[in-house]
Amino acid sequence: MNKITVNLENVVETIKAFYNPAAHHFLTLNALNAPDDSIELEWIFTRYGVIDEPTVFTLTCKRDVLIPSVTSFIPSAIMSERETVDMFGVSIEGAKRGLYLDEDSREMPLGRCRV
Amino acid sequence: MLNALIQALKNLISPPVTLQYPLAEDITLPAQYRGLIEYSAEDCIFCDKCEHACPPRAIIFFQEANGDKVYRYNPHLCIYCGECVRACPKPQEALWQSEKKQPFALRAENVNSEWKVWEERCSESRDAFAAAKKAKKAAKAQSDGQGEMQ
Amino acid sequence: MKKTVEIPLGSQHISLLEPIRFRFHCENEVIRDVDADVGFVHRGVEEACASRFEFKQVGYVVARVCGLCAITHSLGYTLAVEKLLHVETSMRIKYLRMLMVELDRIHSHMLCLAHTAENAGFEALFMQIMNERELVMDVQEALSGNRVQFDYISIGGVNRDLSAQAGALVLRNLSLLEPKIDELFERFTSNWSLSLKYRGIGALSLTQAYMYNTLGPLARAAGLETDVRLETNDFPYAQIGFEIITEQGGDIYARNLVRLREIKQSIKMVRHIIEGLPEGAIQEKTKGKPEGEAIVRIEAPRGELMYLVRGNKSSILERVRIKTPTFSGIPAMIEIFKGSNFADAPAILASFDPCMSCTAK
Repeated sequence: MNKITVNLENVVETIKAFYNPAAHHFLTLNALNAPDDSIELEWIFTRYGVIDEPTVFTLTCKRDVLIPSVTSFIPSAIMSERETVDMFGVSIEGAKRGLYLDEDSREMPLGRCRV
Repeated sequence: MLNALIQALKNLISPPVTLQYPLAEDITLPAQYRGLIEYSAEDCIFCDKCEHACPPRAIIFFQEANGDKVYRYNPHLCIYCGECVRACPKPQEALWQSEKKQPFALRAENVNSEWKVWEERCSESRDAFAAAKKAKKAAKAQSDGQGEMQ
Repeated sequence: MKKTVEIPLGSQHISLLEPIRFRFHCENEVIRDVDADVGFVHRGVEEACASRFEFKQVGYVVARVCGLCAITHSLGYTLAVEKLLHVETSMRIKYLRMLMVELDRIHSHMLCLAHTAENAGFEALFMQIMNERELVMDVQEALSGNRVQFDYISIGGVNRDLSAQAGALVLRNLSLLEPKIDELFERFTSNWSLSLKYRGIGALSLTQAYMYNTLGPLARAAGLETDVRLETNDFPYAQIGFEIITEQGGDIYARNLVRLREIKQSIKMVRHIIEGLPEGAIQEKTKGKPEGEAIVRIEAPRGELMYLVRGNKSSILERVRIKTPTFSGIPAMIEIFKGSNFADAPAILASFDPCMSCTAK
């Protein structure tokens, strides 16, 4: 897979410049726990109709910062953004908590740092 | 439209596609049905491989103080995947998958809570055995050391 | 004054197989806006995979995410772990795995067609299709030893070989099934009362399909040429005669046609697999612990299924990410509902073939 490292400032612009709705398929947004109470986010893209390695945009940031959203140009990303908010306890612009979790659920079930 | 009419007329005279539920006959299981896991204590070498392989932890060994182990299997927890048989060093002799249908769990059998008690007892027995072994080793090392000193 | 009326559908409803809740904001008969709540059956599979179970056991855990596409879930996970362990499987293993996936696709598509018929009011057709689906279920039971939870795929291979009798049974049942599929094809294309419920209803345009990243039969019915079998080279699909199937229009009718044509194609592919099954071992030796990150995509009956597995040389994995087809299809579903009649909502919903236990995992 082709990994492209981005930072908090340029993540939206980089993905927006890369993403072409008629050619690229947005797979998902994945999150992983990283050392020092950080979180690693991966936006994964593939291409329609051709054999291709996925393109992954990775961003490592602190857990408590506000992560910008890509839903303005990829509307279907809202599902994985809301899931990440639920599971990892991060905050993403415009994504509400409560896709899977209820009011009385355990906070961020996957957000424990095991590294 | 005409096709539909012809089909409708055909349906009027053809027998129904549904069947009566076969209440009278027993349902036969196909050959090589993945059924109950069966065990033979005589052939078992107590390597615990099946216990480690089992995804839902349906096989647990109880550790006796004299070193023997007792096998116990929960058919209601088992997912019948057959991983234990594939992990077994003596498959078909010590552990094998039969074609028998799994039993129903009755409320009177209290399968869930009883199994939880058993799980706890097993892990306690393991800990006790390990501790006893360690103490024995330590005592032996101490007596050896004393012997050397004398 | 508020113009719309709010009508809930679910979480328990006669047209739903699994719990999902929609809140339709309707203006007279027409749906204007939709809220969806999909997390009713969240079980925390991802967390269990990365904490309680060892990597060798996780294949059986992820198979329990969904009963209908159990085989694709365990296959997706197994492929990802095999990539991390650098295991190359033999051609026979690949063929046997493809065989199970294609059989799974046939019965899953039949289930969807049956429910689309039921939700449009054709109860007898539902019963008929479900009865015919038993032919495939019997084959799967004979091959794997169980009707629903196949537990057929393990890391490094498959758990059972295909015997000559089982191969013959597959061919026999498929030849019984094929005329019935032709009959269904005829019924779905030329029956006038079925077309009232299906043609032009719940349409998704190609632009919308691109915009909402739709996948699987939903995208192919709208004319978007995407199929993971074409986009990955984990399996030799070209060898067994795979060709992409697309329709135009994107309505329920087109989705039904895509599914029917895919069933026919899967039957053809299963025949090719049985005829050209290569010799070889069914289990490869594996050693070591998974290290690194792997992304695997599989074409499940409902669309693209993704597994991302990351391991750090211990027997407990660091992360297992499951992205199921329905999960990414929900924004498109919500878009399709807007502008449809409320009375059509159950039929439209069934034609998506939604799987809530996959979505909420």
